[in-house]
Amino acid sequence: MLVQSTRFGEVEVSEEGILEFPYGIPGFLEEKTFALLPYQADSPFSLLQSVNDPNLTFILIEPFSFFPDYQFEIDDEMVKELDLSEEQPPQIFNIVKKLGKIENMTVNLGAPIVVSWHKKIAMQYLIENTTYSIRHPLFPQEVGAQLKGGK
Amino acid sequence: MLALTRKVGESIVIGGNIVVTIVGIKGDSIRLGIEAAKEIKIYRGEIYDDIVAENKLAVSSLDLQELEKIKSISKDK
Repeated sequence: MLVQSTRFGEVEVSEEGILEFPYGIPGFLEEKTFALLPYQADSPFSLLQSVNDPNLTFILIEPFSFFPDYQFEIDDEMVKELDLSEEQPPQIFNIVKKLGKIENMTVNLGAPIVVSWHKKIAMQYLIENTTYSIRHPLFPQEVGAQLKGGK
Repeated sequence: MLALTRKVGESIVIGGNIVVTIVGIKGDSIRLGIEAAKEIKIYRGEIYDDIVAENKLAVSSLDLQELEKIKSISKDK
């Protein structure tokens, strides 16, 4: 299907890349259908583009290449809704935000996006009682400095 | 906003399928019990508001030129 994006123009998306967010995404509850697009081969970033609103685009990362120890528990209700199991684990993404400089990008570790590919359903999950920040620096300081150095 | 006075153990019913019960009061903290269908997601207000604000900021601050810069970042960093 063709998806319109203000930032990326017209993008052809295969049906496999389309996800339903039955509860919307906090702040954007009306939008329930999104396309998940890899940003480019070998990039840790992906784009989450609303199918209906060309202006609504999130940048996501897969957290584990940045934060190998990242972990949280998904509650039973959600496990059931997303039909998750050892055989069919979720894929986890986190929304990133860039205010100002790229080395200051932050990632929302407190409210990950949990995707069930076999159900084609995803949710933003607010982890209960977590110490994970919703605006955690994406890059450790030394990497940030490298980026700044024009790498 | 509708404001109702309730005692411990009393409840209010919202829309016939959500029941909020005052479980206890300790100082200025009130413990609520909430019964609702599983489709009704329940969050602490300030946490939810924080996520909403962060999501909106993540979307509004995204610009294409800046995205070019993340092209240099590969999976193995």
